Amino acid sequence: MSSVPLSLYLALALILFCIGLYGALTKRNIIIVLISIELMLNAVNINLVAFSKFGVMPSITGQIFALFVMAVAAAEVAIGVAILIALYRNRNTVNIDEVNTLKN
Amino acid sequence: MENAWIIPLFPLLSFLFLIFFGKRLKDASAYIGILLSLASFVYSLLVLFERFTSPTHKAESVWLTIGDVQLTAGFEVNQLNALMLVIVSLVSFLVHTYSKGYMHGDERIHVYYAYLGLFTFAMLGLVLSPNLLQTYIFWELVGLGSFLLIGFYFYKDEAKRAAKKAFIMTRIGDVGLLIGMILLFWQAGSFEYDEIFAAVEAGAISSTMITLTAILIFIGAMGKSGQFPLHTWLPDAMEGPTPVSALIHAATMVAAGVYLVASLFPLFTASETALMTVAIVGAFTAIFAASIGLVQKDIKRVLAFSTVSQLGYMMLALGSAGYVAGVFHLMTHAFFKALLFLAAGSVIHAVHTQDIEKMGGLWKKLRVTGPLFLIGTLAISGVPLFSGFFSKDEILIAAWAHGNTVLFWLAVVAAFFTAFYMFRLFFMVFAGESRTDMKHVKESPSVMTIPMVVLAVLAVVAGYVNTPWFGTFLGDWLTDGNPALGHGHIEGPAWIMIVATIVSLLGIFLAWLIYSKRSLARDWLGASTLYNVLYNKYYIDELYEVTILKVTKGISVLLRFIETFLVEGIVKGVAGAVSGLGHVGSKFQNGQIQRYGTVAFIGVAILIVVFTVTGGYLK
Amino acid sequence: MTFSGELLAFMSLALVAIAGGVLLLNLNKVVHMVIALVFTFVSIAGIFILLSAEFLASVQILIYSGAITIIMLFGIMLTRHSETNVPKTGRLRKLLLFLGILGFGFAFYIGIYNLDFGQEAADLHVNNTEQIGIALYSKYIIPFELTSVLLLATLVGAIILAKSDDKKEAEKE
Repeated sequence: MSSVPLSLYLALALILFCIGLYGALTKRNIIIVLISIELMLNAVNINLVAFSKFGVMPSITGQIFALFVMAVAAAEVAIGVAILIALYRNRNTVNIDEVNTLKN
Repeated sequence: MENAWIIPLFPLLSFLFLIFFGKRLKDASAYIGILLSLASFVYSLLVLFERFTSPTHKAESVWLTIGDVQLTAGFEVNQLNALMLVIVSLVSFLVHTYSKGYMHGDERIHVYYAYLGLFTFAMLGLVLSPNLLQTYIFWELVGLGSFLLIGFYFYKDEAKRAAKKAFIMTRIGDVGLLIGMILLFWQAGSFEYDEIFAAVEAGAISSTMITLTAILIFIGAMGKSGQFPLHTWLPDAMEGPTPVSALIHAATMVAAGVYLVASLFPLFTASETALMTVAIVGAFTAIFAASIGLVQKDIKRVLAFSTVSQLGYMMLALGSAGYVAGVFHLMTHAFFKALLFLAAGSVIHAVHTQDIEKMGGLWKKLRVTGPLFLIGTLAISGVPLFSGFFSKDEILIAAWAHGNTVLFWLAVVAAFFTAFYMFRLFFMVFAGESRTDMKHVKESPSVMTIPMVVLAVLAVVAGYVNTPWFGTFLGDWLTDGNPALGHGHIEGPAWIMIVATIVSLLGIFLAWLIYSKRSLARDWLGASTLYNVLYNKYYIDELYEVTILKVTKGISVLLRFIETFLVEGIVKGVAGAVSGLGHVGSKFQNGQIQRYGTVAFIGVAILIVVFTVTGGYLK
Repeated sequence: MTFSGELLAFMSLALVAIAGGVLLLNLNKVVHMVIALVFTFVSIAGIFILLSAEFLASVQILIYSGAITIIMLFGIMLTRHSETNVPKTGRLRKLLLFLGILGFGFAFYIGIYNLDFGQEAADLHVNNTEQIGIALYSKYIIPFELTSVLLLATLVGAIILAKSDDKKEAEKE
């Protein structure tokens, strides 16, 4: 039996997730928003891996899932940065407040 | 007969077509209406002939399923329905044709024909309905058609008011019908005529309930058929175009009430009280309206009151268990009253007035209309050999045979009145010298006279389908296979026929003395109180004015007070709150994705916290 | 919960990770924020090792601490960042959001603080990479292939998005 209980891992993931969420919703810089989203994804990964070891049915599947999440996260960052660059070229800004075309 | 459902679709097609394309067609829209109504008439005739040889056809499909209850829609062709189909579609077709001449040059002739189509559709649908619910739907549609046509000259104030009055008065009756219908459904568990009758026969419904529902349904019939005290709308409805009066307010729609009672006849026969009510209301209306008709000066109003009176006759017949007599009179009345209205329309068309005081001496000018009007007058007066004679005779016999001696004598007096005022009308309009300048008077075009000729022929011969002399074909056929409807022919003492003849001839003779020969003073009851009472229709309208209207107005003032201060206050408060909320809400919609995210997340967080605290998902 | 080396390691790693996250929120310069995040990513890799996922830990370091951080830095370098005239986020929103997140975290903490399924996988660390490889190429072969398609699409999409519009460029010049 491991000496670190499941709930501690989950608590760590929860804290990181909350930090990421707060950053994603308050920061003005698009890059920081992207990074915050990465942080949230990482928190999810911790959960997945923790459940792969301590879950109801412990198995390697949790790790595989974390792997997929990483692949998707990498893809997402690539696209995010590409959008950022295109946006910067068109609007000359990375401030998220000025991106409000949804309003119209 | 399996395709009888197609009959009402012709006028519906005409209605839809004219509503959408009528503006471009103008006068040509008349031909469409005529053609399509002819189609439905021909088809109805085929159905009637087929019905002679084959049994009742009924087709239904499930329309709605609510719990265990299945509401069906379909159509039924029994004897009464087939007969009504032919009457309605024939009169409708003739009126369509006649209107071609009467409404010639009217700006909105296509609208007129569209409305006629709608009305005919509704009426044909009504007579085909196999259950009460469907009947009710078409019943209301018929009322709508009538409303539209009465108010056709909507720029005239009277027409507007008459249309409203007709709608509201019939609606009062419809409330009774609706309640009765719901009670019946509650008791019998079905809207189907057959199942209702079966339940009545099996004694599944208590006799009090039968009486109650029958009387409630009769109230609906009273509204539509202009029975006392809901009759006041019918004379006012004469503000509509005259062919409309002939179609709706003489031949078809007002007969719907009679038709309703006739088609629910087994329900009425199950309750002696209900029958008695029908008979008393009918007889009273007959003599009441006839007495008003004695003194009216507007040609159409005289006819309107005679319609009310004749409808009273039909109700009396039904109330005296004289099913055949009622339906028979319904048929003959449809023909001769439509004829009279069309002829009156022709007169009005020629002289441009409705006041009979200003007419006179028209016999020589209107060589076609005059004799036709005379035929109609003879028929309605019950002169022997004309159709009205036979049907009225049947009613009198039915009333006598049922033992209603008082009602019988009331009906005899009403027959006397009828003969008198109808011939008063005839002599005032056609006999004697012209009372105003009549140089420009011309006979109506043949498109108007031919329908009248057809109706005149029918007004003469229609009676021979059911006579005590040559056989009672109609009666035998109508009651065939339906013992609940009573006997095809009720035997009555022969003196009744003689009395009826004498009475009607006496009325004619009196009218002739006063209005043609002038050997009696015309104003023999002129300035008297009685005359005023009659001329003002027993002050019924005024009575309604001071009682019901005042009370209603008082209530409405009170309600308006509540409306302004209570309801509107609440409404304004609610509206203010909502728009305030909207202002707050619109602040969130500034296009920034982060703000959307924040709002959404805070919402989710609140939900989750509430769940956690209240133990939503942990317990 | 007895005190052990494993717990000590967990605690220090968690401390570094959370500290990195807090720094991310509070630093001013964008580049500093990214550097702070690298600490978080690396310590998460350490957490993975504690959870007997050695392969994932190395992938974490490669992808997050390596690739993603580099991409971010490129993104920062390719755009201009003037911290001075960026308006701050509204105080009210920050407060509301903070309360919301606090409630959210609290609710979930109630859910997890005593969660224990009482089971533990014993042999995840034995030939971890081999296990992942076998599972990936047998049971999860279709998602794996789909992921490759996704990455290809991302590649193409990123190029198209980031590629300068030649016509517009020509017009500008």
